[in-house]
Amino acid sequence: MKWRRTIRVIHRDTGYVAAVLTIIYAISGIAVNHIDDWNPNYVVEKRVVHVDPLSDTILTKQQSLNYVLTELEIVDSANSSFRPSPVSIDIFFEGKTISANLKTGKVEIEEISHRRFFKESNFLHLNTPKKLWTWIADIFAASLILLAATGLFMNKGKQGFKGRGKWFALLGLAIPIIFLIIYY
Amino acid sequence: MHKIISTSIFLMIFFVSLIADDTKKYGEKINSTEKTNISEIINKPENFVGEKVLVEGTVVNVCAKRGCWIELASDKEFETIRVKVQDGVIVFPMEAKGKKALIEGEVYSFEYETDAECSGSCGHKKENEENCEHGKKEVKTIYQIRGIGAEI
Repeated sequence: MKWRRTIRVIHRDTGYVAAVLTIIYAISGIAVNHIDDWNPNYVVEKRVVHVDPLSDTILTKQQSLNYVLTELEIVDSANSSFRPSPVSIDIFFEGKTISANLKTGKVEIEEISHRRFFKESNFLHLNTPKKLWTWIADIFAASLILLAATGLFMNKGKQGFKGRGKWFALLGLAIPIIFLIIYY
Repeated sequence: MHKIISTSIFLMIFFVSLIADDTKKYGEKINSTEKTNISEIINKPENFVGEKVLVEGTVVNVCAKRGCWIELASDKEFETIRVKVQDGVIVFPMEAKGKKALIEGEVYSFEYETDAECSGSCGHKKENEENCEHGKKEVKTIYQIRGIGAEI
């Protein structure tokens, strides 16, 4: 039948166009699915070091800043700083934050870096750009529906839907239904 | 045909990269022009509840998981205010830490119950002694800004 040939062509060419986005959405989907276990966008590394505490001294913000940078032997200029309290200071660099408690001498250094590919994939998958991307994502979603529909009917006989296909399709239908019954 | 497509894609990417701005914008366009000091809001928050405000401050903290809130330093030392946004509508990047942010939003409040501050020993006198009873809860009011638009 000619219509089956047409379906195969649609399925093939739509598949070529959708392949990259499908991989992006799938990898991002796995990443954000486990958001309770890891940060899908950033690698956040924290370490603690100690400097000599200044338990009896009250410093100005600039003095606190200079003291911490000198103790840690940091020569880079900070982007900005903030004092949560008179005895502590947060110092901000590009990709790095130093939080120092001058009373105890405890300094926490936090460094962040992007998870390459994951951050970009999540950016698209979660529709962060909005605007035109919303429409592109809708078109992609529609293409997935097209792939699913054409995939059901592109083969005939024993290899088609009327043969083995209907059992696999039934399995695909049963999985979400079972989980909805259990968890919904 | 293939050369035309490839060249068009290359030119698109090239020109888009040229117009990329250092200031990132999030959410809706900021319409307000008159800024409110964060210290004024912290000092008398009940006066601002329900009001749309435009505030500016250094970003001192960002939600690491979903970028759904930031904390802005006040114009007065040791003070901060939290700007909360709807999950997914605005996503603040962690790189925003340490940068200056301009935020337009509405001040709101909510209450939550917490354990009363207790010295742990009811025989020891403490401020709010009447609350120092095991199991008694305190209701605290938190004031935040519901962010609508931001520029960082």
